[in-house]
Amino acid sequence: MTRHSLSLLLRNEPGALARIVVLFSSRGVDVESLSLAPAEQGDLSRLDVVVDLQAGRTVVQLIKQLGRIVDVKNVVDRTHDEVLELGA
Amino acid sequence: MDTTGAGALIKALEDVGCEVIFGMPGGAILPAYDPLYDSKIRHVLVRHEQGAGHAAQGYAQATGRVGVCMATSGPGATNLVTPLADAYMDSVPIVAITGQVARSMIGTDAFQEADIRSITLPITKHSFQVHDPADIPRVIAEAFTLASTGRPGPVLVDLPKDVLATATTYTPPKLATPSRPVLSPVQVRNAAQLIGSSKRPVFYVGGGVIRSGAAQELRRLAEKTGIPVVTTLMARGAFPDSHPLHLGMPGMHGTVPAVAALQRADLLIALGTRFDDRVTGLLPEFAPHAAVIHADIDPAEISKNRKADVGIVGDCRDVMAALSAVITRKTDLTDWWNYLGGLRTTYPLGYDWPADGMLAPQYVIERISKLTGPEAIYTAGVGQHQMWAAQYVKYERPGSFINSGGAGTMGFAVPAAMGAQAGAPDRTVWAIDGDGCFQMTNQELATCAAEGIPIKVAIINNGNLGMVRQWQTLFYEGRYSNTRLGTHERHPDFVKLADALGCVGLRCASQSEVDGTILEAMAVRDRPVVVDFVVGQDAQVWPMVAAGTGNDEIMAARGIRPLFDEEE
Repeated sequence: MTRHSLSLLLRNEPGALARIVVLFSSRGVDVESLSLAPAEQGDLSRLDVVVDLQAGRTVVQLIKQLGRIVDVKNVVDRTHDEVLELGA
Repeated sequence: MDTTGAGALIKALEDVGCEVIFGMPGGAILPAYDPLYDSKIRHVLVRHEQGAGHAAQGYAQATGRVGVCMATSGPGATNLVTPLADAYMDSVPIVAITGQVARSMIGTDAFQEADIRSITLPITKHSFQVHDPADIPRVIAEAFTLASTGRPGPVLVDLPKDVLATATTYTPPKLATPSRPVLSPVQVRNAAQLIGSSKRPVFYVGGGVIRSGAAQELRRLAEKTGIPVVTTLMARGAFPDSHPLHLGMPGMHGTVPAVAALQRADLLIALGTRFDDRVTGLLPEFAPHAAVIHADIDPAEISKNRKADVGIVGDCRDVMAALSAVITRKTDLTDWWNYLGGLRTTYPLGYDWPADGMLAPQYVIERISKLTGPEAIYTAGVGQHQMWAAQYVKYERPGSFINSGGAGTMGFAVPAAMGAQAGAPDRTVWAIDGDGCFQMTNQELATCAAEGIPIKVAIINNGNLGMVRQWQTLFYEGRYSNTRLGTHERHPDFVKLADALGCVGLRCASQSEVDGTILEAMAVRDRPVVVDFVVGQDAQVWPMVAAGTGNDEIMAARGIRPLFDEEE
């Protein structure tokens, strides 16, 4: 298992969150924590999620799979930012 | 207010170029069927919604256009789940339109309510539920664009009944101009360099080459480089079987030279393919000496199962054109071809006649191919007959083999053939089916008879769920648990069944009658034809790489392991 922290921008459309959560469950991604809030820009929401990946699965692969979802506008891997945030 | 949501739906479908819908009406979708009555769009009334979905898939693959299916809410919609999953796995562009209960009723467990949008989340590219009738034309245009661009796939549009019934003003939809990914020139150059320096390269070609319409580019690039080509189950027809550079299909039931080419290669040039487990076998043992160039329009496929040394995100047509432009010379592949040529001579595809004197199923399929030719379209269900259809029909053009590759949906052949024939009325369409598969969806033959869709069905009737039986023979000590169908005892009698469904029914059980029966079926043009080919139950699909083993364990026939023997 490897732990990763992702930040997504989603269109605020019905079903957008469901699509992401279903992707996690159908691809065997373990969700550690998840929070959704309106983003500052336009009609978008920001989803912050911490996930655990099975051995052999990469976060790059997960980001690309999330990127295929029509309602997902952007995905950023913040795994390494987090330490800085906590320290600030 | 010049129309209703339903009127806008049908007008929008006309405006995006839909010419046929496969569907079945019901309560919630009923408003849409009223304007459809006056539309120039043909509606094919299926007997089961699953048939509508597979027909849309067959239509899409035969024509290269978006296939459309339509169903009502609840069970109508859930019956589309299997075709949607199938289209998702095989990247087939279809749009499914479903009725939904009225907006105020959603979430109340209303009659015929099912949350189809949620049910289909993991098996669609995207799905819409429209709440404002004014949005319908835009959503239909978006659905068509999404289904057909990038990596193609299924899109669902769910329409509550009251939205269909509400008055609205029609705004013609604007179809977005599809943008194709711009290739990375660095990656193209890196790929060309790898190709130039490799000694044992192979083109590993997948269904993406067919979806992108890149067969011409593939042929040009292959001939320019002299590199051998293998075509996966989804890519049969992307490269002519008669071409000397073609080694056939790789994978679990691939040819020995095609499997060996991947296993012994120093470079895989993977085009529009996804390193499916049926091709790779045990992944750590797959193509152990090869560097990998992987080109695919879906970035999520690159390095998913096998790490690519060079990944190119792009349309296969653009990728091959770019490679052709930078590759200037042929490398000397004499040693490589000597090796592969030797395997091709020693291990051609072949079969034995059953010991019990019954008809060899492979022979039947070989003769259908021979007598019908490469201009026809062939569909298949799933199982032994599907593998034989992949091996023994000789394909020369893309789109001529339509089958359920990724999902492995039994019952695919008949409705897919119906859709293919509706899209390509001038071609002969043969559904090569199994006796198990055929019993899952043969009700669509009544549709074909009523609608004048004269498909031909060859039931490869071995009396059993043949592929499962083969595994029971090989891995379960011949304990044939629940694989005997009774179809050799005429449960049912396929000839009578065909007749009852409004088709011509024929039966053939001996070698001497095969050609005559096929020609008789070919002569029928005004109705569907079903031929019950009664074949031996012990015929097996070879070569075979057993599930969970490495490709080096390939057996050309039971007990014969060419790649193993060679190293002894």
